[in-house]
Amino acid sequence: MKAARFLETRGAAWDRLEALVSKAARKGLAALNEDELHELTRLYPAVAVDVARARMYGMDPQTQQRINRIAILAHGLLYRRPRARPVPAVWRFLSWGYPRLFRRLWPYFVLAVVLSFVAGMGAYVCARIRPATAYVFVPGPIEMPHKGPGVTPEDISERFRQIPRPPMAAGVMANNIKVAFQAFAFGITAGVGTCYVLVFNSMMLGGFAAHFANHGLSYEFWSFVLPHGVLEILAILIAAAAGLRLGASLALPGKLTRLSSLRAGAREAVFLVLGTMPMFAVAGMIEGFVTPSDWAAGLKIGVGLLAAGTVAAYLLLVGHGAARTERAV
Amino acid sequence: MQDFDFIETPENVALERPLAGIGSRFSAGVLDNLLIAGLVAVAALLFFAFASASMAGEFSGFSRAGWWGAAVVIFALFALYWGYFVFFEMVTNGQSPGKKALRVRVVREAGGPITFTDIAIRNLLRAVDGFAFYGVGGICMFFTKKAQRLGDLAAGTVVVSEQVRDYTARTDKRTARTWEQEIGAEALRASGLNPQEFHVLYNYWKRHNELTLDARRKILPQLLHPILQRAGQQPDDRSFEALEAFVEALLSKAVEAEEEASRRARDSGAAT
Repeated sequence: MKAARFLETRGAAWDRLEALVSKAARKGLAALNEDELHELTRLYPAVAVDVARARMYGMDPQTQQRINRIAILAHGLLYRRPRARPVPAVWRFLSWGYPRLFRRLWPYFVLAVVLSFVAGMGAYVCARIRPATAYVFVPGPIEMPHKGPGVTPEDISERFRQIPRPPMAAGVMANNIKVAFQAFAFGITAGVGTCYVLVFNSMMLGGFAAHFANHGLSYEFWSFVLPHGVLEILAILIAAAAGLRLGASLALPGKLTRLSSLRAGAREAVFLVLGTMPMFAVAGMIEGFVTPSDWAAGLKIGVGLLAAGTVAAYLLLVGHGAARTERAV
Repeated sequence: MQDFDFIETPENVALERPLAGIGSRFSAGVLDNLLIAGLVAVAALLFFAFASASMAGEFSGFSRAGWWGAAVVIFALFALYWGYFVFFEMVTNGQSPGKKALRVRVVREAGGPITFTDIAIRNLLRAVDGFAFYGVGGICMFFTKKAQRLGDLAAGTVVVSEQVRDYTARTDKRTARTWEQEIGAEALRASGLNPQEFHVLYNYWKRHNELTLDARRKILPQLLHPILQRAGQQPDDRSFEALEAFVEALLSKAVEAEEEASRRARDSGAAT
């Protein structure tokens, strides 16, 4: 008879808590007034205990489900982190957290640089020694402008000059961010996928560079690539470092279980890759507007170096002090 | 894969959450992707409109505006592809439109609503999970206890089902068979109800703890309407709580009368 008595005495509490949680279902706790909030905090623990008692008494499944559902909803309302306001959070991240995160994860960045350099140089040397191998690294046959007295970097970018600039800047930006996201996500294959993305892209660049060098167009090639390329390559390397961080957390969990190591790694790595988005935005602008412009090659490269240098200084110098204390919520 | 996930609360009670199955998650994914495809189609039409307007445009000013429009569209496509799930899961606390339609929600494994970090991780990893039409994610869900794809594993999230079964639609056949034996003539007389009315109210009262409050609020005034009307009242005149108290009082009076009658019958039987 315990069960029936239990139903009788506790029914009112369930009804009341159900009324409260359904009132807060849409707008959250803001929908409740002060008295109702107190009531919610008072009722929830008792109803949570009722869930356990109902299970113990072997109450009918429908009643069990009902109390459980009410308790889950109340639990979701009560146990949550204070919601951070987005604008201050983003500002704090960019002005403090991100450079620190980069400096904390520098070994992964160095690893990405080394991998990329080895792959790129390997492809470059191969294609320099045996020019035919350039087509292994470079997608499709490319038309080479013949080296002559009149060839300028603008001839190389001729194909790009025909594409209107605003859509091209947007397209380049989107594509690069996509590659960065992939470099991060593929890290979940214990880093193998990230290495693949990184090595593939580095070899392509090395192959291109060798191909142009074989035709004696090195200067023209680099003066086309460098203005936007320096910042782009820097950002891709950071994204790859994020992927390697994710991969390492899975491959080398240390004292943690593999799953909790993966979670901790993902939490660090995801912010490392998200922080590259503004860099790609700037690089896309340069590629869309500066690279195809009529400026002198030296000036264009200067713009690229300036942008990359600014980012490098930001990553190395910003955020060394203590964090400003967050305002209590 | 199991059907339920448990969260330990600070009260040391394990609350259970029904997990969303592969089927409902796949359906939700199909719906979301159809919606994305629709939006992409609109964006593509806009892109071609801008592009052709720019090509045909004689005036350079108009042409430039057209190309800027095209740039915005390209960027919107990108943002749509990567941002659709992030945006909706952020705004609706874990429910993209497809998930909403299938009544499933993303929650933290540890309990409570998801954060931006969780959402960013689980949706960036779609790049891997989505491989071969979510083949990678599907296989992963099949082999994990809580039906998690790689993104869920890395972010520490689970997708739970929020379908609430509507018990109001079912009748209890067992009670329907025996109600005539349960209601005595004395109880009927004391309550002033006819057998059907008594049966309905009696069953309502027996099961009222299993019904959701909303369902009860909906049903009870309907059940009481003819009875109160006979007494010259409207159910709307009284609060729901008063109506329930009225039913309880009516039924307990009837049951007491019935018990009294049977006791008297027993006593008189013993006397003879």
